[in-house]
Amino acid sequence: MTALIRLRLVAFLRTGRALAPLLSVLVVLGVIYGGGQAQAAEAYGFSAAVLFPVVAWQTQILFNVEPDTQRQLSTVAVGGLGREIVAGLLTALVPAFALVAIALALPWALGGITGPQRPGDPSLASGVVAGVWAHLLLVPPALLLGAVASRAAVGNAARGLAVLAGCTVLAFAVGTKDSPVPWLAPPLLPTARATVDGLAAGPLAVQTAFAAAWAAVALVGYVTLRRRNA
Amino acid sequence: MRLDGVWLRYRRGEPWVLRGVEASVAAGEAVAVVGRNGVGKSTLLKLAAGLLRPQRGAVRERPARVGYVPERFPADQPFTARRYLLGMAAIHGLAPADGRRAVGEWAERLHLDPLLDSPLAELSKGSAQKVGLVQGLVHRPDLLILDEPWEGLDAATRAKVPAIVAQTLDRGGRVLISDHLGEVGSLPDVRTWELVDGQLSTPELAPVECVIEVAVTGAEVDAAVASLRAAGHRVLGVRIPS
Repeated sequence: MTALIRLRLVAFLRTGRALAPLLSVLVVLGVIYGGGQAQAAEAYGFSAAVLFPVVAWQTQILFNVEPDTQRQLSTVAVGGLGREIVAGLLTALVPAFALVAIALALPWALGGITGPQRPGDPSLASGVVAGVWAHLLLVPPALLLGAVASRAAVGNAARGLAVLAGCTVLAFAVGTKDSPVPWLAPPLLPTARATVDGLAAGPLAVQTAFAAAWAAVALVGYVTLRRRNA
Repeated sequence: MRLDGVWLRYRRGEPWVLRGVEASVAAGEAVAVVGRNGVGKSTLLKLAAGLLRPQRGAVRERPARVGYVPERFPADQPFTARRYLLGMAAIHGLAPADGRRAVGEWAERLHLDPLLDSPLAELSKGSAQKVGLVQGLVHRPDLLILDEPWEGLDAATRAKVPAIVAQTLDRGGRVLISDHLGEVGSLPDVRTWELVDGQLSTPELAPVECVIEVAVTGAEVDAAVASLRAAGHRVLGVRIPS
């Protein structure tokens, strides 16, 4: 399985298609942190929200790089659909974590993070921990959204783009604080809000459960679609 | 390997491609799947390879090591032939040294070695097909599935296919091979499944006539012709240099 992960990563990097999501993240983070300093929790809350659609998009690109017939050859070679699916998701984790690392490190390079400004503000350390939590929490649902939007799952690239764009719009439209159905959307805005508010055990636990549930539903959806298309 | 009452269609509401297919392939046996274009030969092979799941029935006792050679190799990939084949050998579970040796041997056998460092996307269709063939063979599969293996190959490589099949059978492997060009007659001891309207029948193959050119001395011509005719062969002509 490691060999398949390596081959897919090399293909993703060699086609140059890894550049588009990378540049997008750099531009957006540059805009966020270029305007001045912010406290860690607030800054990381925004960057986690921004990273969500980019990780999903990056995963979709990575999956779509592999021709359909090559995916069949990989499936036979690695020993079946289950192992091919696991290898694909593990492959997507590598560039996703790379984007997370960039998103967490860049504000320090740009001098965009500041400590507490007023009494009662969360400490720098708790802001950083909340930020790391938010970024890592959003990786599984974002990655699985990208997987669901891949050609292997939905049949063609145009349909995949519609799924990706639709879910991202849904996340912003339905994920607001006053939404009657916030659970319908990927847990993007609620996670960002929980991060900005600092480390409070209650909201963080709720958001962790929400993201895990959303990721589980997306995983079941992805596996079902792959098995149906197999 | 057995296909037990297999029914398969691609989407609900569409016609069945395979309808209650019952068949088995024993160790050391080659089976040619024949039938008109679009009848479902590739579908049957993908099912045997584990790439498709039947809605009813099951594929049982599929060997663990499967080699699958598609009808068209996907050459639109950012690798050289060598990097790709070594990668596929590793995915098949071969150690790096074994992978290098197997890729080298098969590349030499199929005259692919001068092209191993060429990008896949720059290979001709025939050379890309050879890459497809090698990736399915490097790990010595116990079930070799060849989807129209003669398609796009040059005459010299097409002539090697029977030996490749025979080698797999000699190891106790199974071979499933589809064909619409009528080349299966060149294979050793091949059984035939004919796919008609989603169901299999097993007709006998018509014997394929081959032409052998034999050189004899002028004094032996009459005796040689008579001997060949006596053995039941057709003598098509005799050329005597002037």
